[in-house]
Amino acid sequence: MKRTLPPHLLLRFFRWFCHPKLLKYIEGDLMELYSERLKEKGKRTADLRFIFDVLLLFRPSIIKPTEGYKNLNSYGMLKNYLKISWRNLLKQKMYSFVKIGGFAVGVAACLLIALFIKDELSYDQHYANHKKLFRVLGVISEDGASKKGVAFPAPMASALKEDFPEIVETGRYNNSELFGAGSSEVRVADKPDNAYDEGFVYFDQSLVNMLQLKFIYGNPEKALSEPNAIVITKRKSDKYFPGENPVGKLLVINDQADRTYTIGGVIEDFKPTSHLQFDFLIGMVGLEFWKDEQQYWGASNYATYVLVEEGTDIPSFEAKLSNQILENYFLPMMLEEGQSEADARKFFKDTNAHMEMQPIDQVHLYSFGVDDSLVHGDIRIVWLFGGIALFILLIAAINFINLSTAKSANRAKEVGLRKVSGSFRINIINQFLSESVMFSLISFVLGLMIALLTLPYFNMISGKSIVIPWTYWWFTPSLLVLSVFVGIIAGIYPSFYLSSFMPIQVLKGNLTQGAKSSPLRSTLVIFQFTMSIILIISTMVIYRQMNFILNTKIGFEKDQVVLLQGTNTLKSQVVTLAEELRSLPGVVNVSNGDYIPVRGSKRNGNSFWNEGKVNIDPGVQSQFWRIDPFYLNTLGIKLVEGRDFNSDLASDSSAIIINERMAKELGGDLLGKRITNYAGLWTVIGIVEDFHFESLRENIIPLGLVLGQEASVLAVKLNTENMSDNISAIGHVWEKFAPHQPMRYNFLDDRYAAMYDDVQRMGKIFTSFSVLAIVVACLGLFALSAFTVEQRGKEISVRLILGASVNSVFQLLTWNFVKLVVIAFAIATPIGWYLMTKWLQDYVYKTELGWDIFAVAGSMAILIALITISYQSLKAAWMKPITNLRSE
Amino acid sequence: MKRYQLGEFEEVVMLTVGILHSEAYGVSIKKEIEKRLSRNVSVGALQTALRRLEDKEYLRSHEGAATEERAGRPKKYFQITALGKRAMEYSKSTRDELWSAIPKLAWGLKIIGLEGNL
Repeated sequence: MKRTLPPHLLLRFFRWFCHPKLLKYIEGDLMELYSERLKEKGKRTADLRFIFDVLLLFRPSIIKPTEGYKNLNSYGMLKNYLKISWRNLLKQKMYSFVKIGGFAVGVAACLLIALFIKDELSYDQHYANHKKLFRVLGVISEDGASKKGVAFPAPMASALKEDFPEIVETGRYNNSELFGAGSSEVRVADKPDNAYDEGFVYFDQSLVNMLQLKFIYGNPEKALSEPNAIVITKRKSDKYFPGENPVGKLLVINDQADRTYTIGGVIEDFKPTSHLQFDFLIGMVGLEFWKDEQQYWGASNYATYVLVEEGTDIPSFEAKLSNQILENYFLPMMLEEGQSEADARKFFKDTNAHMEMQPIDQVHLYSFGVDDSLVHGDIRIVWLFGGIALFILLIAAINFINLSTAKSANRAKEVGLRKVSGSFRINIINQFLSESVMFSLISFVLGLMIALLTLPYFNMISGKSIVIPWTYWWFTPSLLVLSVFVGIIAGIYPSFYLSSFMPIQVLKGNLTQGAKSSPLRSTLVIFQFTMSIILIISTMVIYRQMNFILNTKIGFEKDQVVLLQGTNTLKSQVVTLAEELRSLPGVVNVSNGDYIPVRGSKRNGNSFWNEGKVNIDPGVQSQFWRIDPFYLNTLGIKLVEGRDFNSDLASDSSAIIINERMAKELGGDLLGKRITNYAGLWTVIGIVEDFHFESLRENIIPLGLVLGQEASVLAVKLNTENMSDNISAIGHVWEKFAPHQPMRYNFLDDRYAAMYDDVQRMGKIFTSFSVLAIVVACLGLFALSAFTVEQRGKEISVRLILGASVNSVFQLLTWNFVKLVVIAFAIATPIGWYLMTKWLQDYVYKTELGWDIFAVAGSMAILIALITISYQSLKAAWMKPITNLRSE
Repeated sequence: MKRYQLGEFEEVVMLTVGILHSEAYGVSIKKEIEKRLSRNVSVGALQTALRRLEDKEYLRSHEGAATEERAGRPKKYFQITALGKRAMEYSKSTRDELWSAIPKLAWGLKIIGLEGNL
């Protein structure tokens, strides 16, 4: 007979929710009732009643519980795993500390560096059109090295906009000190006191539009469209006009009361992640630095930005742009200056002169070797840091793997027992994975705390202002996911290893695999120390280069020179001030000149020719500086031939002193001969020794010095170490001359050292990382050696009883580890040498990469390792043999 | 007394299990209650009560034979435990006590009241 069945779906639903213990009885009841009703009242009613019954059974006491007799998840087991893990953690405090502590340090390092990298990568992303905004670069190759510059002639921006339909808008800025940008004395027009400020720049209205700078006051479209208009940032507005809208107010710059600047707007401060960092944007409407300057193609002073049409193919456009601009503008200019067309074309060809378009979101990280006087990051540093962070985490993970497998003997019985009680291998794997995830979670929490505590220090050495992004929604979840992921990665090998034990063998007590030094563990220790030694080598080379920079003979005396800034407001009085300072007892000499031989000072690039060769020879690219007669003496620059300037000789106004490089480039015995540039014909009266006026990364370039006056810097050379007395004496004199302007000064040697801030920063960061890496590696080594001693305790006791000396026991225990470090050193040396040779390539003037660096790094690593192991080894060797043997 | 807590429906179930003696299982209990008290009993309510009584150890159960009309599912037979018996007795005695404590007058008043309403 075919049974009539109740609604299938409802029955399945019931079977799904019902407590398995009750299922068969209640289902029986339901079936009985159903068949009875089917007979009495027919299928329809029976079905209906069945449905009601099932639905009414859906109540807490019938529904199966989430835990209890039979669970679909393994919550109970997981709880057990965690409990056992926690007990193990507490039982072996030292090993747990090494595992978790090392991990936490690795996590902290990774976290900080990840935030650093994120910050570096976020530069200029906030500009609305950053995908379509480009900076134009000019590239020429000379002597095999390509030089990239951002400065272009004033009229190029408008030429680009007119000639190329692909270009929507162009804009320029000029931040050259030569034109009065950079730093200035500034005051509100109706107040007498000057204040010093930085961040002055000449800026196009169109560039404001392109960047879509946010305005707080003023009309963004017209803020710079009037002559002598100026836009200031919020922080400067707060400084000069606290609590008011300054639009329309007047500013006086460098005490030039006849030429006031009208504030056209206040913008928000440039974000810290902008490559442009200015505070005073001076409009360029109606501005001309000399007659027809804005139409002149022969001088390059303007950084030029372009906004292109959506979907422009940049590489092909770049080529087209280079070609047309060179052909239509630069070539005619060169012909006009007297060069032959053949020469000009040869120059273009030889130097492969072309233009590139650099996306502005790449300006920060990809501007290595671009001469733009901005502060940059470096994509290589980003990669390097990322690599180092990963290595530290790896070293910590290796500790984890090493210790877990080494201590496996202690867990072997547990594994055996679990297997005997019915565990599958997968369960054991799960156990050890969950254990390592637990360790990882604890480490992440600790690591986060360490990161939080060390963040101020990290910010200090990296020169950033990073905060931990708690408030971002992705932060906590991604940390959580990462910690689980890292936990699984670190736990995979130990869990497979531990779960492979045969229950019979481990329960019989045959298994002491962990005690033997496995090849894998040795490899991992070698890897850890290789990393550490490479870092030590790098640190030492960086410090040595820094030392070289600070102590190398640079051709001038940078010590005990005070630079008084902002003397341009004194106008012609500056000569009297210099005279008066010279009469002070502590002052050796005083020179008035803006061209200070450190980077960031005023510079003036020019071409020089021998007399009469202007249109015949290619010009020598040089610097052309106006100084006063005391310059060489004050800065201790040595004359090789000829004489210094003499202010009593009227003829010296057309005299020039050149450096050796210039003499070499122009050729021949130049003393007494005449050379020429755009400004006139000059008689060479002296040749000075080459001195470094730019970074040691670059070659010394030709230089011509002529007399000039009235500059904004007074260099004061002092003769004693007693700086503070001398400074206050200078201060008294200063007050007489400039009562409304506080004296502002800095030291030449500080300015010089500041040129290498990045190297110093690198040095500090590398030191921190090497210390971290070696500490974590040593933690692991310490734990491993403790473990060996523990395992071989009985053996050592027996040896001692049989007459082994402390010395021989010590050797026995340490040699294995020292061997590993020696191997690591052998591997690390060539890698370190290669990396550091690469790094030093940035410098034209650099330190030697001597063998002693490697010797010191190697012996340091071995010594540190030895000290680490010694503690445990000596403890074992000095131990009373009886303590270990007593139990038997 | 907390120790012998027995709800109204629970008491009915207990009594029915007692009446059915060795024949008390889900469907028979349900039918017996429906027959005697002429009230509908859902399977869910009954099973819940049985569970609760079993948890309180007033009832114990054993598995019976599987029959064809039950699609091969076994019956679960219930029996009153000693504790269950005591609980029932306690429940009855407390009620009796309360009954006897009601003054006679109350009954009269109630009847008058009823008549008044009619």
